[in-house]
Amino acid sequence: MARQGPQRRRSPRAGRPVNRGAAPPVQRGLARLAIVILLCYAGVALGIGYWQGLQAQALTNDPGDPLVAALRDEPRGRILDARGTVLALDTTVDGVRVRRYPQPAAEPVVGYWSPTLGSSGLEQTYDADLAGLSGTSPVDALLRKFGASAATPLDVVTSLDMRLQADAVKLLGKQKGAIVALDPTTGRVLALASTPSFDPNQLVAPGSGAAYLAGLSAPGNAAPLLDRATQGHYTPGSVFKMVTAVAGLGSGAITAGTTYPDQPAEDRTGFLVDGFRVVDGDHPWTDDTALDLVQATEVSDNIYFAHVGLATGAAALRDWARRLGFEAAIPFDLPTAPSQVTSGGGPLDGFVDDVELANAAYGQGTTAVTPLQMALVAATIGNGGTLMRPTLVDMVRAGSTIVQRTTPQIWQEVLPPAQDQILREAMTGAVESAWGKPIAGSAAIPGVPTAGKTGTAQLGGSGEPHAWFIGFAPAAAPRIAVAVIIEQGGHGGEVAAPLGGQLMGDWLRMSH
Amino acid sequence: MSAFEVLVWTLRLAFLGLLYLFLAVLARGLLRDLRAATSQTVRAAGALLVMAAPAGTPAVGATMELETISTIGRDADNVVVVDDPFASTHHARLTFRGRVWYLEDLGSTNGTLLNGRPVQGAVPVGFGDEVAVGQTRFRLEPASGT
Amino acid sequence: MTTPSLAGVHPRPRGRETSLLALAAAALVVGWLSLATTQAGHLSAGDPSLLVIYLVAAAAIHVLFVMTGRRTDQVLFPAVVLLGGISLLFMARLPPSLVTQDAGPAGVLTLAPLQLVWLVLSLSVIGTLAVVVRNDTWLRNYKYTWAAAGVTLLLLVFLFGVEVNGVRLTLRIGPLAGQPSELLKIILVVFLAGYLAENRALLAGTSLRVGPLDLPPLAYLLPMLAMWGIALAVVVVQRDLGAALLFFAVFLGLLYVATQRTSFVALGLLLAAVGSVFLYAVEPTVQVRVAIWLDPFAQALGSGFQIVRGLYAFGRGGLLGTGLGAGLPSPDGTLAVPALQTDYVFAGLAEELGAAGAIALIGLYLVIAERGLHIAARGADDFRAILAAGLTLVLVLQAALIMAGDLKLVPLTGVTLPFVAYGGSSLLGSGICVGLLLALSDAGVEAPAPPPALTRGERWRARGRSAAGRLERAVR
Repeated sequence: MARQGPQRRRSPRAGRPVNRGAAPPVQRGLARLAIVILLCYAGVALGIGYWQGLQAQALTNDPGDPLVAALRDEPRGRILDARGTVLALDTTVDGVRVRRYPQPAAEPVVGYWSPTLGSSGLEQTYDADLAGLSGTSPVDALLRKFGASAATPLDVVTSLDMRLQADAVKLLGKQKGAIVALDPTTGRVLALASTPSFDPNQLVAPGSGAAYLAGLSAPGNAAPLLDRATQGHYTPGSVFKMVTAVAGLGSGAITAGTTYPDQPAEDRTGFLVDGFRVVDGDHPWTDDTALDLVQATEVSDNIYFAHVGLATGAAALRDWARRLGFEAAIPFDLPTAPSQVTSGGGPLDGFVDDVELANAAYGQGTTAVTPLQMALVAATIGNGGTLMRPTLVDMVRAGSTIVQRTTPQIWQEVLPPAQDQILREAMTGAVESAWGKPIAGSAAIPGVPTAGKTGTAQLGGSGEPHAWFIGFAPAAAPRIAVAVIIEQGGHGGEVAAPLGGQLMGDWLRMSH
Repeated sequence: MSAFEVLVWTLRLAFLGLLYLFLAVLARGLLRDLRAATSQTVRAAGALLVMAAPAGTPAVGATMELETISTIGRDADNVVVVDDPFASTHHARLTFRGRVWYLEDLGSTNGTLLNGRPVQGAVPVGFGDEVAVGQTRFRLEPASGT
Repeated sequence: MTTPSLAGVHPRPRGRETSLLALAAAALVVGWLSLATTQAGHLSAGDPSLLVIYLVAAAAIHVLFVMTGRRTDQVLFPAVVLLGGISLLFMARLPPSLVTQDAGPAGVLTLAPLQLVWLVLSLSVIGTLAVVVRNDTWLRNYKYTWAAAGVTLLLLVFLFGVEVNGVRLTLRIGPLAGQPSELLKIILVVFLAGYLAENRALLAGTSLRVGPLDLPPLAYLLPMLAMWGIALAVVVVQRDLGAALLFFAVFLGLLYVATQRTSFVALGLLLAAVGSVFLYAVEPTVQVRVAIWLDPFAQALGSGFQIVRGLYAFGRGGLLGTGLGAGLPSPDGTLAVPALQTDYVFAGLAEELGAAGAIALIGLYLVIAERGLHIAARGADDFRAILAAGLTLVLVLQAALIMAGDLKLVPLTGVTLPFVAYGGSSLLGSGICVGLLLALSDAGVEAPAPPPALTRGERWRARGRSAAGRLERAVR
């Protein structure tokens, strides 16, 4: 390395064999090459960002992912009702792990889980807990699963009571409809039935499940996969009057004693609103009495409530409806569809005009509700004006260790108890009083003061109306609130009210 | 999170962090190097003639062309490498600024001498001046070819 | 490079290299702890003998560099050590029975120990070349000899090679099996460097005008193209499409560096496109490769299986990865992604280290690229510059190619990730590249090192000065 003697140091570019100055120095070419290399790697980095950032979730959820396949063979937790009855569990068929559902009547709540056909219901909502993957992060879950400690599948304990659920399904029978029953003081859902339903055991059967599913989804079938209780959209008819009453009282537009002098006459001739004639049903026993709130509820007077609606005004009506849970998906352990007071878009705070407002006030117009929503309305009135958050799951546990427990939560204080008392009386009267009995009396539970409201939702055209009933019992300190709907079942008082009363009565007996 | 999970997360993040630390330590230096190297080679504005080198290298009488900023020391990545046991790894720095060469000592153990006097701070050096690093002595000369 | 001399050996401190190696060692130790802890379920160092041997080997070579006192680049070696260490960690994490080799008296070696052997050999090659190679005449003056050697090697493989997975890549001599294509890349780069350096001016200065196009002068380009044509044809016949692609890319890169005529590169790309279309039309395997590149999920259980599984691995990794040792397990020795230790090692590392780790890996290859190009830019003459650029391209483009292939950005090719994938031939070939790069980077006793702190003003002035100097010489 040492050079001997004085020498000039060779300059970096000396000794080059040929340089006529025609070839540009390599440095520039190298600089450009550096840029090209940088671009190549930038492309790779973008690819990494794409697959490991944007698409990571989609990839790991893909059933083809070997991780999913590995999980498929892992044990899955059970779903139980409040008294310990098993609603969903693992079994092995020919060495393959398959889900089994001993109580198909719990169908809309429990759902199903199949490695190839997806999942629904609580099997879907609580999938991570049931699979034992719930942790502080998905990566943690993986670590636990494939690392030192195996993951523990958790059991989900629901608030359902299987006896009541089976009862509800039996009462619905072969009709299309839904029943929701909950405890108004805690918000725990005791039964949630939607018919027609399907047999989840057949759906998860390996091999034949796909064909069964295809059969269920075939047009002409009455949509057995739809959970009518949480996602069915129906015109409410007269049961909506309770919402109008809440809005009227709450906003101060009316009081318990408010009457409309023209109302008896309008009962007979109809009530003209901007050229549209609001017609009333038939209750000759009220004669010419101008009805107050309680009485109007007892006989379900459309004219009265149309007046109340107009007096309350569109904005206030929607506002109070929202406090009851309208116009948004109800936060719940199952997917829910929002209920609406109006389809919106009109100049009158969403309503098209006063006609629509008046019609909506007694449950026609473009109102559309879910049975769950109406059950919540009944529960609110029964619970002194306080709406409790509806829950379906009591706790999630691993063996005897409780991982997560649900406590009752106040969702909204809708009405002060004093005002709510009026509505309580109104609904009690609707079932028990002399004026109300002819309409809703079939819901009365022998020996127990029952509160309720029927509804017969006209659908226009020549089809039968929906039969509705909402109610709670015992009226003073209710332990159960229900909503019943029979799609195109006919008259609410004849078809839905008896079911509601029967169900509530059965519950009071069971839960003694 | 259990203690074990915390431990594993810590180790994982530490590993990634050390990888990035390795890259970060290099980052700025590398970019600078490449830009300097691929823009035209810097022509020297001076050279050091080796007057005395008891260590053997660089050879006495050799001329070392200087960069605009040239470091002198024992470490292999200096511009002028002296294998002198009395020199520090990064001993001194000659910088060409304006039209003048400046010499500064880089915190060496034995100091840098300019014409026999210790150097404090950045001191201007003229052609013909003698710089002593350890036991090696150089003389600043104009660059060859200019 | 200076003339060989026995007296010129002086130990010199290499501070930067020492601190970088220490940092790399620290990272690898922490990584090993992470792996062992994850696998054991509690804080543990597992059996660290593999890592210890590796770090000792790296330290030994570093000491060798210090003792021989050559003024070689101080960043390349630590970067390579870090990459090799990551490889070792990953191989330790995979099921050991994936690869076994009977090593006679040493017993049967499994995956990680085998990779360790190759890594240590590769590091030794780097050390040897960096220290011993002081003269480039043997590379520079015998370019046609080198070219002939390369073609001979190719023909040997063609005639006597062993088919593995339908690709005839391996040459077996007694108990040793290797993939000469690694050596071939280097030989051809040496040839190219010599040829281009010699004829650079003529190539860049004159051209054949055909209509609006500027074509290179055929008389000079022809021998080179012929070489390339033979090499490519044989490679393609062997179905090693990755190597062919790599050769061609390196060729174009070096051509550009030497002549800086973008028209040549454009022509080259055009030829490549024509060739690709031709191959696609004629060769069914190419059609399959393109099909599974475009939509691997359509053949998720068939030919697209590997790609699909690789993508799932990336997805599972997410941003921070699953942690070393916590990726999808292979309980019965079969891998979640086929060829995880060779073709898809990048996906495996991305799964366990996440996008963060994958980008760090890219960073390491960029470091190698920068250092290599820097060595090229500082090369004493054109030959060294082009040679260094070529060696760099071989390493860096190969890495980018397989990374992009794993990510489904380009069709998957069979090239391996340098210093990370399992494979003796790959490691030795990459080692030769880095060793030669280090040898080329020797700044000599007098040659300048990069200015550490140029202000912008000084840079501009320096540029002006050198441009003036150039002009003078050109005019002279």
